[in-house]
Amino acid sequence: MKNFTYYRPTTAEQAVALLEARFGNTEMLAGGTDLLSLQKDYIAQPARVVSLNGIAGLNTITIGQRSVTIGAGVTLAAIAGHVQLSRLFPALASAAGEIGGPQIRNMGTLGGNLCQRNRCWYFRDEHSPCLLRGGNRCSAIEGENKYHAIFTANHRCVIASPSTLATGLIALGASAEILGPQNRRRTVELAKFYRAPAAANEREHTLAANELITSVTIPVRGLTNAAYEVRQKQSSDWPIVQCAVAFSAGRNGEKATGVRIVLSHVAPTPMIAEAAGRAVENRAITAVAATAAGRAAAEGAKPLSQNGYKVRLVEVAVKRALMIAAGLPRYWEA
Amino acid sequence: MPWPTTRRLIGTKIQRLDGVEKATGRAKYAFDIKRPRMLFAKVIRSPHAHATIKSIDTAAAEKVAGYRALYQIKKAGASVFFAGDEILAIAADTEEHLEDCVRAVRIEYTVQPHAVREDDALRSKTNTTGGPGGNNINAAGDFSTDNFENAFNGLAATHQADYGVGVISHQCLESHGLVAEWDAKQENLTVWASTQAVPNTAEGLRVHFKLKPGQVKCITNYMGGGFGSKFGPDIQGIAAAELARTTRQAVKLMLDRAEEVTVGGIRPSAYGNVKIGATKEGQIRAYEVECHGTGGISRGATVSFAILPYVYGPAIPNIKRRHRVARTNIQIARAMRAPNHPQNSILTELAIDDLAARLNINPMTLRLANLPPNDQAEAQANPRTFVGQRATIYRTEIEIIRKMCGWDRAWHAPGQGGKGVVKTGLGMALHTWGGGGRGPNPTRVTINQNGTVVAQSSSQDLGTAQRTVTAIIVAEILGLQPTDITVNLGDSSFGPSTPSGGSTTCPGTSPAILKAAETARDAFLTSLAGRLNVQRNQLSIAPGVVVNMANNQRIPFRQACGMLNVASIQGNGDWPTQKELQGNAKLREEWTTRLSNQGVGGVQIAEVKVDTETGVVKCSRFWAVQDCGLIINKLACESQVAGGVIMGLNYALYEECIYDRATGRQVNPNMEFYKLAGIADMPSIKVHMHDMPERGVIGIGEPPTIATAAAVGNAIFNATGVRVPIAPYTPERVLAALANRRAGNG
Ligand SMILES: Cc1cc2nc3c(=O)[nH]c(=O)nc-3n(C[C@H](O)[C@H](O)[C@H](O)COP(=O)(O)OP(=O)(O)OC[C@H]3O[C@@H](n4cnc5c(N)ncnc54)[C@H](O)[C@@H]3O)c2cc1C
Repeated sequence: MKNFTYYRPTTAEQAVALLEARFGNTEMLAGGTDLLSLQKDYIAQPARVVSLNGIAGLNTITIGQRSVTIGAGVTLAAIAGHVQLSRLFPALASAAGEIGGPQIRNMGTLGGNLCQRNRCWYFRDEHSPCLLRGGNRCSAIEGENKYHAIFTANHRCVIASPSTLATGLIALGASAEILGPQNRRRTVELAKFYRAPAAANEREHTLAANELITSVTIPVRGLTNAAYEVRQKQSSDWPIVQCAVAFSAGRNGEKATGVRIVLSHVAPTPMIAEAAGRAVENRAITAVAATAAGRAAAEGAKPLSQNGYKVRLVEVAVKRALMIAAGLPRYWEA
Repeated sequence: MPWPTTRRLIGTKIQRLDGVEKATGRAKYAFDIKRPRMLFAKVIRSPHAHATIKSIDTAAAEKVAGYRALYQIKKAGASVFFAGDEILAIAADTEEHLEDCVRAVRIEYTVQPHAVREDDALRSKTNTTGGPGGNNINAAGDFSTDNFENAFNGLAATHQADYGVGVISHQCLESHGLVAEWDAKQENLTVWASTQAVPNTAEGLRVHFKLKPGQVKCITNYMGGGFGSKFGPDIQGIAAAELARTTRQAVKLMLDRAEEVTVGGIRPSAYGNVKIGATKEGQIRAYEVECHGTGGISRGATVSFAILPYVYGPAIPNIKRRHRVARTNIQIARAMRAPNHPQNSILTELAIDDLAARLNINPMTLRLANLPPNDQAEAQANPRTFVGQRATIYRTEIEIIRKMCGWDRAWHAPGQGGKGVVKTGLGMALHTWGGGGRGPNPTRVTINQNGTVVAQSSSQDLGTAQRTVTAIIVAEILGLQPTDITVNLGDSSFGPSTPSGGSTTCPGTSPAILKAAETARDAFLTSLAGRLNVQRNQLSIAPGVVVNMANNQRIPFRQACGMLNVASIQGNGDWPTQKELQGNAKLREEWTTRLSNQGVGGVQIAEVKVDTETGVVKCSRFWAVQDCGLIINKLACESQVAGGVIMGLNYALYEECIYDRATGRQVNPNMEFYKLAGIADMPSIKVHMHDMPERGVIGIGEPPTIATAAAVGNAIFNATGVRVPIAPYTPERVLAALANRRAGNG
């Protein structure tokens, strides 16, 4: 990797002050499970690396009556193993528990997970043309794209949003607390946090290069929630498609309301499947209703040359996530 | 010199001697070697799949802090034929400085057209790979039995379909490479290499540097996987030794993961259109295949289909093969665990199950009806040969596995895998392999006055437990425990040894170890007899003791050693020379049919669960029955079989090299999207060793990986009633096959 200067500030404010306003020259380091591989592959070549690991208070979990706040530095393992989080937000905790392997979960953090870069193999190969590295074309559109986005309309870059925590958090209505220069604090709903990048100076999210996430707050509204991943293998792998759902009521035959269905690995950003939500809004969640929601979720997909199969997986992931949430039998675990 | 007829240790389950070292990290692999003042080196490679080098400018690199030396491999004007092709190597004082040096080198290329897909290569009108001829095709070995035209006439059932398996990489956990160090006078070279051929690696370097025998020493104490891809120093090993000579410092050059995948070895792909036909009684009468594959830029025919139809060939009267090798701009294929067999197994065994479905017979029954017959002439000449009794062995093994997995209860017709979305199925496949050993494998056993026993040979332990095999045999003969024996392996100064390829190590070394141990024992007892004033034949060895039959005294082994009037007693053992074997039928029989032998069969059965909504296949249970003659260490044998199955499951379900057509670069040279199973993805694997001690020692390194993928493919077919033609059987392929059937096409 390129030589860099390492900083280990002890407050978030100091960290922000060390960051430049443009992406490229400075990077924040949390668990490093993503950043270090990007550096080793010369995809990220920061001159300054600002560790967040010396900052006090970033790794606490606060369970309140009305909301739960998770520090950006909390590890994935801590989220997965947290009893109350698992009870309140299985969509989040179960997803955290399925990430990578124990090493990744012990090092990886919530902030790093939400801000991680995409896994496109052209993006991560410095010798391949890539829009996000200043190239003039996206190699995936005509190339090897079996893991790429299937909702591609209007996208010049067809990366698939990787975070499986973002989906659950968006479904649960969570927001990120963000700290910028001059102690400027703002709160952004995670549903509005992401955007589809198409150029070298753009990231997969809307943070400025000198802003950092300090924590994520999830409202406690008693939502029924769950996540489901279609995985080819269990060990150290990514899901092919993942879906998180949250809604009010909806168990034991009650009608579900406020249904939110969110998908990762299908579009350049986490995707709220609105049509799918509408398909089950105000309905009891049954296998039939869940199937209909799955179909609705897949509508509008424009797969690439090699990933048409993911359309089917969207249907299945949505259906199964809804059924898990509703407490229906897991018919696929025969 | 037969194997002992009553065996105290041989054939039992004995734990690896180096298990603790490996588990604790005390075992030092080549990758772990640190020498004083050691430098680091890296090869600079072409990013292009095909190009000519316009210019190489190293001026900036030579000014980078820590730069030490460079070694030119290709000059400007030369061509590169795959992404990863070597151009030059650089040495620097730290890994970090090395990276900076590497990035400071400026190379300009004229990019040329390439082909990385088999179909592109077969279509290409030009030669992009630098081999002979005007295109990228090697025609190779068409074959037909006489009067094949009518072979399918009048048969009750025929089936024609495509099958295949893509290019995979060896993915050795310990990458290729070595640490090289010259002595002060720059005369003698020592390398610590990750190799499956210790003397060959030393010899490769010796020839390169034009040195005299003995001037290069190769050490491989532990080894992290080769699978057929590590038989010599390779270009990066030579580069490291060159740089060590230039800098007069030790140099370490081990490939990184991306290099390991893109230049450390691939197994050729194989795709074929197969037509197979049988009578209504299930006698397979004809097999026809039109196939191709690629072994990268390999100049020769690295994909061999000469053994098609696999296993059953001798039972099938009409056979026709047409085969082309597509040369592609990817690395040169290397031998990989049972070269050609897994591919040919896929091109045969899947067709057998499809044919069984057409005939409406149980595929086990169809196999039993078409086993390759016992070769009567062979059986006459050598009753212990595999070929002479193969039908009998397969029949026995099938009977064993049938009971093990409850086939009669669990097997169902294809597509009857259950009512739910997850379908369960069983599939089977057979395999065969040679695994015969040979010499030279000189082994020395030393019994010391202080009671220690040392066994020594230059042969290498690839992780197969060769160290433990050596100790078991010596301990058996000397009445000791394996842990009593110090085994020194993997040092070329210990003499010649055969490379660990072709499953030959155990059969190649065991007879020599036996001979060395017996020679040492005899010399020991002779010397002791002199000391005790008894006849040699009044002394014998029993567990832990030397028995003096003259007075019924039992002398503990260590105490007996103390009575020696020399510091140590040595016994050497090795094979007779090839010439001696050729000229002496009795000797040949002893060494190649009693002490060791060749030819094994094996049967494997997979149980899979296919989620028909997602296309995800999980292998839930697996059974393997394997013969390998006289078993030395049953535990290691079972572990070897399980390891073979694990590897086979990976290319059945997960791994493949994926190349970008536009750039010719591999998009997954890693362990992330080059998918490999972890423990959670493993089935329960039940292994049964079919022990046939009368046949002598036969190798088992390769056979147990051969049938696995075909068994899994057949299990998927059995579960779903749908054939997924190409391995690995990934969700997109399984879903495509299921959709194809729904559309009424299959
Ligand atoms: C084999 C494998 C499988 C995986 N599977 C999954 C999966 O199924 N689902 C999933 O979601 N993830 C998965 N991951 C990714 C993993 O979750 C991330 O690597 C990890 O969460 C990143 O966290 P980190 O703390 O290590 O981030 P780092 O590597 O330290 O940082 C990642 C990025 O986030 C930025 N960053 C870090 N913290 C902050 C902050 N507080 N504010 C702003 N920016 C910040 C950094 O600057 C950097 O750009 C997998 C990874 C691997 C290798």
